[in-house]
This record gives sequence, C-alpha cells and structure tokens, in this order.
Amino acid sequence: MKRRGKGIGCMWYPIGFTVMANPSAATVKVNTDGTATLLTGTVETGQGALTVLGQIAAEALGISTDDVHVVSGDTDTTPMDTGAIASRTTYVTGNAIVRAAEAARELLFEAAAPLLGVKADQLEARDKRIQVLGFPSKSLPISEVALHAETNVGRPAIGSASYNPPTVPMDPETGQGKPFNTYVYATQIAEVEVDDETGEVEILRIVAVHDCGTPINPMLVEGQIQGGISMGVGFALQEEILFKDGVQVNPNLTNYIMPTSLDMPELEVELVDNYDPTGPFGAKGAGEPTAVPTAAAIMNAIYDAVGVRITSLPATAEKVMMAILEKREQEAKSA
Amino acid sequence: MLVKLKVNGELRQADVPPETTLLKMLREDLGLTGAKLGCDVGDCGTCTVIVDGDSLNSCLMLAAKANGREITTIEGLATSADLHPLQKSFEELGALQCGFCGPGMLMSAKNLLDKNPEPSVHEIKDALSGNLCRCTGYTKIIEAIQDAGRELSGAAAGN
Repeated sequence: MKRRGKGIGCMWYPIGFTVMANPSAATVKVNTDGTATLLTGTVETGQGALTVLGQIAAEALGISTDDVHVVSGDTDTTPMDTGAIASRTTYVTGNAIVRAAEAARELLFEAAAPLLGVKADQLEARDKRIQVLGFPSKSLPISEVALHAETNVGRPAIGSASYNPPTVPMDPETGQGKPFNTYVYATQIAEVEVDDETGEVEILRIVAVHDCGTPINPMLVEGQIQGGISMGVGFALQEEILFKDGVQVNPNLTNYIMPTSLDMPELEVELVDNYDPTGPFGAKGAGEPTAVPTAAAIMNAIYDAVGVRITSLPATAEKVMMAILEKREQEAKSA
Repeated sequence: MLVKLKVNGELRQADVPPETTLLKMLREDLGLTGAKLGCDVGDCGTCTVIVDGDSLNSCLMLAAKANGREITTIEGLATSADLHPLQKSFEELGALQCGFCGPGMLMSAKNLLDKNPEPSVHEIKDALSGNLCRCTGYTKIIEAIQDAGRELSGAAAGN
C-alpha cells in the first residue's frame, strides 16, 4: 500500500569560506558614451553570475545593465578573484564591484559638482545622469560628465577596489570567533509517497523557502534553488559512487543514476525578501545551500509515511524495504 | 563510404568510415558542432537531433543509416533574422544554466511541439526523460516549452 508523509528540513549556511583570506577585486571604468566596463576575475559557470555582477555595477552607477560590458575570467587582464566557489560570488565579488563603482562614481561627482553648482556629496547617479539630489532637472548625462572628467578635469572615472569579508579567528581558550561574515537560511518541505510493499519512494512535491538576502535577480535565484533541489533529490534517493578495490565501478551515466525530468516533483520556490546591510544592495548568496535541506526533508517525510529512519543515503527501495521489514519484525516480537 | 544527408534543408555529403556515427559526421565532417558529444552511449541526450520527424541520440545512429534522410539539428532552429520561439522562451525564462544539455533539450522540445503543440507537464517530462540536466531541476525548461507551445499554437491560429 502506498503511504504518504511530509517532512521538513531546515538549514543555515555560511557565505564564502574561512581559515584563509577570501578576497575579490574589481575595476569599473565609466566610458565617455555613458556605458561602463567591469573587469572581474570570476567566471560564469551558468549560474548567471555575470548578469548579477553587471546588475550590481549598473545599480551603483545609475545606468542600465545592458550598458555594462563585463570582462571576466582572464588572468591577463582582470583583477584577482578567489573564484566561483563557496557560494561567494554575489556577496564577495559583488561587494568589491560596489566599492569599485562607487570610486568611479565619486570621480564623476567631483567632475560634475562645479558644473551643477553644488558640492559633490549633493549629487546622485540615476537614469544615466548625474543629478542634484532630489532635483532631476538639475542634471547632466553621465556620458558628458565622463568626457569632462577625462578631457577637462584630467581624472578619468575609473575605480578599483577589493573586498575580503572580515572574520575573527577562534580563541583557543573560549572557542569563540567569527568564521564568516554572513549566513543564509532555508526551509524545505517534502511530500512523499512510499510503497510499503516495495520500499519505493516517490517525491510528490517540494516547497522551498530561502533567505538569500535581497535577491538581485529573483529569476536566477529561483533557478539555482530548483537546480539545488534536483541535486538534493539525487543525493536522497539515487546518486551513489560505488567503489571496488579503490576503483569506481559506476563511472558513467548508465549506472550512476541522477534525476531525470520524470524523477523531479512539483517544485514551489519562495524567496524571503530580506536585506543584509553587509551585502551588495542587501544580497547574500544562493549556490550550494540550495541543495542542503532537501535530503533531510525527504528522509523526514519517509519517516512520517512509514515510520522508519533511513540514516544512510541514498534511500534506495531496498534500504527502505529492509527498514520496514525490520520494524515489522520488532513490532511482532514486542506484541 | 559516401553518405548523403539533407541537413537543415540543405543537401550535404561526406566520405566517412563505416563505423562513423551520425554525431561524429555532423560535428567533424559537416562542421555542425551544435549537437554535443556527452556520454557517447545514449544516456545523456545532449546529441539529440531530429531524423525524419523523430528525435533521437545521434551518437547511437550510424551515419550510413541516416543516408538519404532528413536531419534537423540545433543549427536549423534559428533563422538569420530571428531565434526560434523555443530559443526565445528558453532565454527569457532562464531555462538553461551551463547550457551543455541545451541543444539536445531544444531538439527534443521541438520534436514534441511539432507533434503536440500544447503538451501537458507530464507529456513534456516524458519527452525530456532522455535529456539529462544537472543544473536546472528541469522546472524552467518545462515552463519555457509550455510558453513556446502557447506562442506557436497562437501564431498558427492567426492570433
């Protein structure tokens, strides 16, 4: 008989890593046509990082994302970046870019201030213009200000900066320290159907609610979470590297089984719109933590459905069936 | 041996050894590298092309067996003026991440929509079950196929 159950998995996860320094550097150059060039050492692996980093530079400069030309991942030309690892790109590289863009913007403000008859700190960058705070009619196009900065002032609008998340080493006496600068949080709920004659588990639905700070690009965050859940589903029920005499016996997709479209349940993703004051425009990160609570939620749902605790992954039909039989045997003995 | 194909509407031919797969001929002899070489044993689906109206793994078909048949590859989807509605929907809805499964996903999706312009979610999952994706969890791919299906059947109805 098929039995249904629901389970919850919760997690927190640090953004970036610790023990050694974790810096990113960036350079932002405002061009005389009002576009900007962003140099970053990080790489795009499909998660949409360069889109998000371009959005961050655009927001800081008051221009559109389409007007930011991103040059990335070339050690000949781009500033150092620790890498597209540890769920750190939006937070650490993003923070470096905000600071670099702000430095370039400051040069634009200083160039524009005498032209607009105000002090530099009374200016803002918005809608592709440098304008007096609250007075959009008193403004100049960014392109014009960038040209003025280069040809008349003699200080081109180029900013470079780096960011390394502040941490506090562990005190060996007290065990206290601050290993990471920020953390993300999530809860996922799984609904499963377990066949108590065969041990087969079908996942019907997963609801995932994640706090990633302010999502810079909600569509991309959603995509990361959906992908993370599919990895969690594989981790929970299917994926296992098998070794014999130190050699992997299932090194290909014929016998290393990962989720197909038919293995994926209905997914519902919600973002908690939080704001982290230490992140770029309030953002933290997505990446790895999206896969963390999935298997726990599924194992709890299996327990809710058939009353057995599976403590070794993946929870294959054989393992679940054995656990169910063991439970029945124990119940028969104690009855 | 000489193999003649109609690829994306154009007659192409190449002299290939008999053990050459259709995938190898497309990529190495005809310069069409859109279909990807993934597992080369029919597990991953990234080499999917359409042969005479059926999507299949081109790594599992000998080029000789495709002789005289009509092949559509990912290169045949877009025109010089415009992307195919499926490609547009995939782009707009963020359906791909690393993109390696993309050419195969799109060809399986095109073959489905050619036969069934408004498929259910289950029909889409069934059509994609031979195309593995490690990044997306398939959700946005399914949404993009539904979106393109609506657009294509709307265009067919003259809307």
